[in-house]
Amino acid sequence: MTETVVKLRLNQQQLELIDRTIAQGVAPDRVALVRLALHEYAAAHQAEADRMERAQ
Amino acid sequence: MTGRQIISECVIEPGTGKAIELLKGQILRVEQVEGGQCADFNCFNLHDYKEFMHCGRTRTVHGFHPTTGTFMWSAPPRERAMLYILEDTVGRNDVLFPRCSAYVYEASYGFAVHTNCHDIQAEAQREYGLTPDDVHDSFNLFMCTGVDDDGHAFMTRQTTKRGDYVDLLALMDVLAVPNVCGADVMKTSNFALKPLKLTVFAADDADLAKVPKTPTLASQRTPKDFRNPTIKTDRPLRRDPAYSPEFPNTPIVVTELAISLSPAEMEMFNAVKRSDIYGDDDAAALRDLLFSWWEERFLQAHAGAPSIESK
Repeated sequence: MTETVVKLRLNQQQLELIDRTIAQGVAPDRVALVRLALHEYAAAHQAEADRMERAQ
Repeated sequence: MTGRQIISECVIEPGTGKAIELLKGQILRVEQVEGGQCADFNCFNLHDYKEFMHCGRTRTVHGFHPTTGTFMWSAPPRERAMLYILEDTVGRNDVLFPRCSAYVYEASYGFAVHTNCHDIQAEAQREYGLTPDDVHDSFNLFMCTGVDDDGHAFMTRQTTKRGDYVDLLALMDVLAVPNVCGADVMKTSNFALKPLKLTVFAADDADLAKVPKTPTLASQRTPKDFRNPTIKTDRPLRRDPAYSPEFPNTPIVVTELAISLSPAEMEMFNAVKRSDIYGDDDAAALRDLLFSWWEERFLQAHAGAPSIESK
């Protein structure tokens, strides 16, 4: 299956926050942290998104 | 009843206010004499008047109606807890409304002269050499306010009774300036001006033990950290020809970070991404998701608010 590449644009301050989060052991690297964010955020907000879609 | 030692007490009459040197560890009680009276309040670092209480920061941290267990914060870049609300028998104060002013009474009511909190504050502060321009946004004790559905602040009548009070504990040496709000043609003080009693106590150990710790951070800067620590003493503004900008963290440099998403991850992303804001810009939507997740998972305090350390 084809992967989709999304090119995040992050400034040095945003990268600093990401790197400090990685240093806490949350994820092994930047890409893994973004993936973790996607998985956790989607799991937490899927129900909310479904509700909004039904309401439209 | 309190066993605290009384240091001083006085009554401020309608139309007046009083600047009080309140040293660290002392408590200022602002008390209703008859009930139903709003008190406007200003506060300065006694040793550096450029540090003053900031309603904006205070309402960000504690909401629109700070009460027992909250702090009055100084303005950036100091951002220190100046006073702690040790006790509040009513629990209804306001940091939404500005002080009333002569302009309000002239523009809305046609008064050439009328008691107003700005001018009362200025007159009280003059005892310590401050000018009318030094009066700052007031913390409005006992003022009953809210926000309507259209986002406008409103004020209404208060329910305070004789003997109701707010106790403010000084966490640094301050000049505390309460005044009897001058509004007698508004609901603020139930359409009448009444006196207020001020008492200064020495805090006891039990009082001091109630104060939560607040952070001490490098970002809480004082004049020793300023590039220009000198207070400007003349009024016109002139460009400094030697000025060279030194904005922190500039230039802002953007770096690309490529993220490969599987079809399953794309499906996940498409289900929650904010297309309503970012349209087809998936990179912006993913950035939003990343930092929204970070806020939800790691942010301890309300947005923009300094967190308060638990005991």
